Amino acid sequence: MAGNLIKKFKNSQSLKRLKNQDRDAFTKAYDDNIDDIYRFVYFKIGSREEANDLTSTVFLKTWSHIQTNSLESSKTLRALLYKVARTTIIDYYRESGRKITASLDDEENKIDIADESSFDFNEKMDEASDIALIKGKLPLLKEEYREVIIMRFINDLTLEEIADISGKKKGTVRVLLHRALSALKELVKEDDRL
Amino acid sequence: MTDKDLIKKLNSLKSLKPDDSFKKSNRDILLSQISNSGARDLSSWQSFSINFTSFMKAISQPAYALGIFLFVILSGSLFSHQIFSGAKPNDSLYIARIVSEKARLNTVMNPSDRNKLAVRFALEHAQDISSVLADPNFNTEANQDQVARLNESFNREIDSARSMISYLSPEKKVSPVSEASSTEASEDVFQIAGSEKDEQGLQLFEANEPIATPLVETTSIELEEVEEEAATSSDLTGSILDEAKQFSENKDYQKASEKLREASELIK
Repeated sequence: MAGNLIKKFKNSQSLKRLKNQDRDAFTKAYDDNIDDIYRFVYFKIGSREEANDLTSTVFLKTWSHIQTNSLESSKTLRALLYKVARTTIIDYYRESGRKITASLDDEENKIDIADESSFDFNEKMDEASDIALIKGKLPLLKEEYREVIIMRFINDLTLEEIADISGKKKGTVRVLLHRALSALKELVKEDDRL
Repeated sequence: MTDKDLIKKLNSLKSLKPDDSFKKSNRDILLSQISNSGARDLSSWQSFSINFTSFMKAISQPAYALGIFLFVILSGSLFSHQIFSGAKPNDSLYIARIVSEKARLNTVMNPSDRNKLAVRFALEHAQDISSVLADPNFNTEANQDQVARLNESFNREIDSARSMISYLSPEKKVSPVSEASSTEASEDVFQIAGSEKDEQGLQLFEANEPIATPLVETTSIELEEVEEEAATSSDLTGSILDEAKQFSENKDYQKASEKLREASELIK
């Protein structure tokens, strides 16, 4: 209970400080969330450089949103960042006229790996290739499947957070996750069969 | 591949991060952009105000509010005595002191300890009353009504302490073990105060009835020795209190205070 109280306090404090245009609060928000938001954007659109640009846009838009809107509907700063990231990506799709459907093996739409050195090369070869395979199959998933997989299994968001961000019920998110995992497993199996 | 394997491999994608150089340069760019739109450092007052409202928002949920309420009540009943113990009979907080003493007495389970504590409180009240009466700025011609009321309170406290002390001796606490049933033991119930209120505060006890105590088994020789010792101590304390009362009636409040201190030492 004490942990929840502290969490609620910190959430409320960070949103209020940002609302009051506190520079330090922005720096903290950026440092705490840049990795997650970048990963989310990257796995959605598939390009490192574009992910860099869009991630910057997400933080600027979030700052602007906080200054110009009431924060009644915002439970946490993290949820707000993800919501802004989703809408930013939708705008990007609209402007670029495409959605990412490429796989790692597609030469015309190659997915850059942002930082190969971050992977542990001591992993067994088959495990490394499995991971590469999964990375390659993610873009082939339906948009909402890919989104929940990224949020839950890559960025470790809770079901409640995903429900808040996506505007869905927790039960719906749970079902969506199950279907998304099944779909990804099917894609991976297809590749094994080939 | 099982679901568990798949999830484990998805988890490992967490290691993908933006370049550190990108993170740093991007942070600087964003900070300069938001600075142009009014970002600044908050003042201490603003920080305090934000922390306070955030805390209030965090505890606004019923479960937290209930938890904090219970904590405040419990700590208040346990520690309020320390907070209000300095309040004197002519202070506005004196009532709060009496109430906190009552709360503290209610937390003491052992009847003997409760009696001793009650006596201690009564003697402290009496000492405080005499120190107020000894103050020439208070004890003036214009204030004689209040002085008279305080004198009455003083006498009440002394009488209350005196009767409580007599119940601290074992002949009142202990019955010899006999075949008689335990229902023959005193079943007097002690009524905790509130019945006498005056301008200077509440008296803690109606000064006559002891707190019910259980039967205690002991040898008859030990019982005699303890009874004798306690009776002596009780008599001595009683006579000291009589002297204190006498000094107070003679308006020698300093000596009255000293006698009360002596009596307190004997009670410890």
